[in-house]
Amino acid sequence: MLMRYSYGIMDRRKILLYNSQLFLKGNDLLVFPSKDFHKWYGDIKEYIDGLYQINSVNMKKLKPMDISELNLAVAVLLNITEELENLFDSKMRSDFSYKYISALNEKYKKRSSGYSSDMRRCDIQIPIKPEITGKLKYQHQMEIVEEAWKLFIRVNHKKNRS
Amino acid sequence: MRMSEGVPRGRIAELYHPEMFQEHEEVIVFTRDEFNRVYTSMRDQIDYINKTDLHLDRNEEWKLIGYWPKIIEKVHILDANMDSIFKKEPLQCYLDAYLYNTVRDTQREFVESENKVSVKL
Repeated sequence: MLMRYSYGIMDRRKILLYNSQLFLKGNDLLVFPSKDFHKWYGDIKEYIDGLYQINSVNMKKLKPMDISELNLAVAVLLNITEELENLFDSKMRSDFSYKYISALNEKYKKRSSGYSSDMRRCDIQIPIKPEITGKLKYQHQMEIVEEAWKLFIRVNHKKNRS
Repeated sequence: MRMSEGVPRGRIAELYHPEMFQEHEEVIVFTRDEFNRVYTSMRDQIDYINKTDLHLDRNEEWKLIGYWPKIIEKVHILDANMDSIFKKEPLQCYLDAYLYNTVRDTQREFVESENKVSVKL
């Protein structure tokens, strides 16, 4: 699954598409100025990287997350929401004073599995060695005898047949 | 941002609002359906996190330990959605997000396409 997109250039109130083969006849198209769109893309990436940075404290397990960090994350999200809305607001003008290119280390984007060290600790401690009592010993011996008895019967049965 | 809808006609695309762009300006063109999918999915993830935030009682801070991984999960989907726009290789996350975020039927919210109307040139 790939997202189809093509660059193009305005020419006499129409667009000359560079990769026109990507679009089918019935498709509806959305057209943005490429410079503005890249700026918008960079802005959202910057906010998402910000969210990862908030999470990096959690990844290092230095301290548990607290409400202030959640508030911070929600505030960053509010900015993303605003950017998403601005995309379709034709009155908004992009600010080209800088452009963000994500250079965040991939290790901060790793998805941690749900299996935590606490769960592992529990799992290791679960097998409890039972105390061997006289009753248990007898029970085990009887299990062996029963198994032998079953085998004995099976062998005898075969002998009688042949 | 300035934007316009349009329809492809062979090598060129016709716009509904060509006055939005300047002559010889470079533009980027997406299909509306695909862009809608990414956009809606992003809105859904943000809604999810906002709702989690609203429902969390500030006196029960310890519950955040459970909610936080879920929030980060949604941030990952946000990121995957953004990546899916320009990445050349297919993304598994893109497919996951596609399967688990059924896009609502938006037929009624849009004006009818120019395709269905006879165009007088």
